[in-house]
Amino acid sequence: MKEIPSPSVENSEKWEVQLRKGSLELAILAALWDGRLYGLEILRELESKSDLIVVEGTVYPLLNRLRALALVESEWVESDSGHPRKYYRLTPAGRQRALEMTRIWARFSARMNNLLAHLNEETRPVPEGRTPYDSLCRISESRRRLPHGPP
Amino acid sequence: MILSAESQKAVDAYLTALRKKLRPLPPEDANDIVEEIHAHILDKSAAMTAEGMVSTTLAALGTPDELAARYRTDELLKRAQVTRSPVVSLFSLARWATLSLIGLVAFVVSLAGYAVGALLVVIGLFKLIYPHNGGIFFDPRPGSHGIDGSGGFSFVSGGTWTHPGHEVFRLWLAPSCLALGALLVFLTFRLGTWCIRRFWRPSALREV
Repeated sequence: MKEIPSPSVENSEKWEVQLRKGSLELAILAALWDGRLYGLEILRELESKSDLIVVEGTVYPLLNRLRALALVESEWVESDSGHPRKYYRLTPAGRQRALEMTRIWARFSARMNNLLAHLNEETRPVPEGRTPYDSLCRISESRRRLPHGPP
Repeated sequence: MILSAESQKAVDAYLTALRKKLRPLPPEDANDIVEEIHAHILDKSAAMTAEGMVSTTLAALGTPDELAARYRTDELLKRAQVTRSPVVSLFSLARWATLSLIGLVAFVVSLAGYAVGALLVVIGLFKLIYPHNGGIFFDPRPGSHGIDGSGGFSFVSGGTWTHPGHEVFRLWLAPSCLALGALLVFLTFRLGTWCIRRFWRPSALREV
């Protein structure tokens, strides 16, 4: 019998998909930061340096759109493999966009990390002799110590 | 990279289907896309050793229809901004309608505009071809006023039609309907184009 996923797990998965989608444009621009790459190299770069597993059928239309937005430019280059490859590189507008997105990402993630700091304790493996109740007490205690904590 | 005959056949079939689905795009753009996908298949297959990897690569790309659809949307809406064809405009709006609420509203309004415009043109043509077989009538008798007393344009084939009411517009109905219908189609077309120019923005992340 097929196992039905619980609503919370399903929602978490959807949220994660949206999160990955939202960071894909920046990831591709970042992958191209150091120089030109062709489609498969971009995919490998994303897989090896990030947690992003991009479906191959989506990366090429996405690169096409980035080109339409003048963020990347492309050129066909002959290769040793016997067939030409289409290489992509960042345009000045693309570099500017990548920097701008990186700034926004850094600010946003720093604030989110700040907000989530006490939740991180909760998600760590519980040491022997420390129950979830202890963790909750610790969180409540840390919240009380915050200068602008809940009333 | 040399593919087996069977793999080569599968790749050719995939690329032919993709090229077919990319027909709405300019030929040079479609060729560019097909060549890039071809290069990807060859690179990906070369990197794999086991047999049957071509089919895995093709599966990862999605069906030719799915892959082509991802390319077509932006191109269609880009063309709609400069097209002079109401058909291209309407198709583009239909595609846009599947992506956003504003697209849906623009499509519904355009569809209604084109439908009413086309109906007026048809009425005008009928009146032009059969001047004595139809028209808009006003009947002053109590309880039967309105267009033809029955609320619509009346047309009968064969012979000359006599109606107890007073015919409005008479022969002016044909040029009026034709002009009004054409104007409505033109304004609807302009409205659709304006909506696309004003509200549609290519998004790198859409449909990913």
